[in-house]
Amino acid sequence: MSAIHLQNLVKKFGDFTALKTMDLAIADGEFMALLGPSGCGKSTTMNMIAGMEEPTSGKILFGERDMAGVPMGRRGVGFVFQNYAIFTHMSVRQNLAYGPRMRGAPKAEIDRRVGAIAEMLQLAPLLDRKADRLSVNILQRVAIGRSAIMEPAIFLLDEPLSNVDAAFRAVMRTELKQLQRQFRQTMVYVTHDQLEAMTMADRIAVMDHGVLQQVGTPLEVYNDPANVFVARFIGAPGMNLLKGRPAESDRGLVIDLGPLGVTPPLPAEITAAVRGAQGDVLYGFRPEQATLVEGGRGLSLPVTFIERIGARTIVHLGQGESAVKAVFDNDVGLAIGQTAVVAPAQASVRVFDTATGLAMKAG
Amino acid sequence: MNAARAKPVLPDEGARLGFRLTLPAQILVLFIAVFPLLMQLYISLTDWSPLSGLGWWSAWSLWNNFANYTDLAADARFWSALKRTAIVMIVCVPAEFLLGLALATLFADEFPGKRIFYSILLMPMMVVPAVAGYMFFMLFQSGGPVNDILSAASGFPVTIAWLSDPTLALIAVMLADIWQWTPLMFLILLAGLVGVPEDQIKAATLLGANPWQRFVTIVLPKMKTIIIIALAIRVIENFKIFDTLYIMTGGGPGVATETISVYIYKLTTQDLIWGYVAAIALAILIVLSIAAVFAMKRMARAREVRA
Repeated sequence: MSAIHLQNLVKKFGDFTALKTMDLAIADGEFMALLGPSGCGKSTTMNMIAGMEEPTSGKILFGERDMAGVPMGRRGVGFVFQNYAIFTHMSVRQNLAYGPRMRGAPKAEIDRRVGAIAEMLQLAPLLDRKADRLSVNILQRVAIGRSAIMEPAIFLLDEPLSNVDAAFRAVMRTELKQLQRQFRQTMVYVTHDQLEAMTMADRIAVMDHGVLQQVGTPLEVYNDPANVFVARFIGAPGMNLLKGRPAESDRGLVIDLGPLGVTPPLPAEITAAVRGAQGDVLYGFRPEQATLVEGGRGLSLPVTFIERIGARTIVHLGQGESAVKAVFDNDVGLAIGQTAVVAPAQASVRVFDTATGLAMKAG
Repeated sequence: MNAARAKPVLPDEGARLGFRLTLPAQILVLFIAVFPLLMQLYISLTDWSPLSGLGWWSAWSLWNNFANYTDLAADARFWSALKRTAIVMIVCVPAEFLLGLALATLFADEFPGKRIFYSILLMPMMVVPAVAGYMFFMLFQSGGPVNDILSAASGFPVTIAWLSDPTLALIAVMLADIWQWTPLMFLILLAGLVGVPEDQIKAATLLGANPWQRFVTIVLPKMKTIIIIALAIRVIENFKIFDTLYIMTGGGPGVATETISVYIYKLTTQDLIWGYVAAIALAILIVLSIAAVFAMKRMARAREVRA
């Protein structure tokens, strides 16, 4: 069993810094998702954990053990590649047996382990099939089984679902999560799809431009984004952010949004932090947390677009600086051009410093 | 999958149109390939030669009751030339293959000066074979550079008469062939090596395979088809070995380096017995064709396994 500690990890490719001082502790048995847009450094981080790339500086510890200079074949990590990297010239059985065979395990033991893993992954009837004529979900299971047979303490998965169509992805997400429960290994999962990260991970590490933005449980990063990037990146659509200035009112601290008027009073937890702010702030709330108010107080904006996503309806309001999205039930009686008044649920409001991009909260 | 392959690509109507459209080209191919073959077969059954005073079409008057073929079976010089050709092939092709594979493996990774070495390595292939033959003829003179180097290395004056000794001449000829054709092998194998999926090699490494195991279990199986192609090209080419060798030794001393091609050349230009030459050439064609069919079958099987 193995926890992973990344300490001051830096990776440079020539002049380009792929990863800037990353510190991350992944607990033993945890499912950690590295989430971020492409080029954010998540795959680089993963490759360094696997030993495919050497860090420019910093340390990688598995438990207490420093991994510097340990070649990738000796790290005891299982790695599932984006395209699975199945040995297409071999049968499923040969793929599964590859690791033990290369380490010179006796034939009887190989057979036993292959049998066990095939049973667990429901590959037993396919063992003698050629690996190049299998469907994607079977390929994925072979890829996982081939690594799992080595009983690695750490499992690394590099966007394993990105080649799969949307319908299938849902099935595979469930399957993967169940597999992790079975194996109980430390898993690091690289993805750019927040839905995958949200549904499977115990914790998510959100990254952008080689910088770790926030680490937290799926609900933490969703509810309390540490900064503007996380606020915008997490959630579909991301958090609404409106520029304004803190202002005192008789009802408490509010944000003056200029032409949009003033907001309802801020939640008590963040009032103190926002009160001391200099200059502009960003007033943020989740599209899902907005309610339509008839004639009440709220943001009064014209409807510019209505996006039906099936279960719900995303209403686009306003334009430019004052663009806001709100998610309503499908029976919402709005039409393009109409003016709607929306109010964010008070508890869900977050405020960010415009200059630093950081969330403003007490402490 | 087999059923899909057996199904005609075009419907009947289209296939007939396709046949008509390609008919001129097919007739041309017929003239280029089939006509000379038939002519050869015809002449091989006669004693015809350009000096016989007859046009080739009236060679039937020199019909000799398959004497060319019975002579061939009893022609010791032919059989020893065939044996020699086989020896050259058995030595040169594997040597070129192993050297080429080793070089390709080396060149699959980056190292300083790779581009320059790459160019240098390909140069022998660009040299006109006749020139290469002359080069090696000079190198292996008893007062030539090869002996000079051996003298310098051993400290004794070495004056080996390379091209006058039957065994050494054959070795020299084979060295020239290896020098000239290893680059081709290298080039083809490098293309195959670069095509091996990087991810699968990494996956094998992560599963604990050492470099040799990776080479044997991943790289070689992935290169199988290209290896067969490379070997087939060199086997066929090597069977016809002629130009470099002829310039170096002229098939001598005696017949010590006389291969099939050299023998045929001598019979054609010196003995002028064209009927007999046609019979030899035809026999060789049949042998090579049978070998080619076997190789193709193996290749098709390999592809089926992969596809």
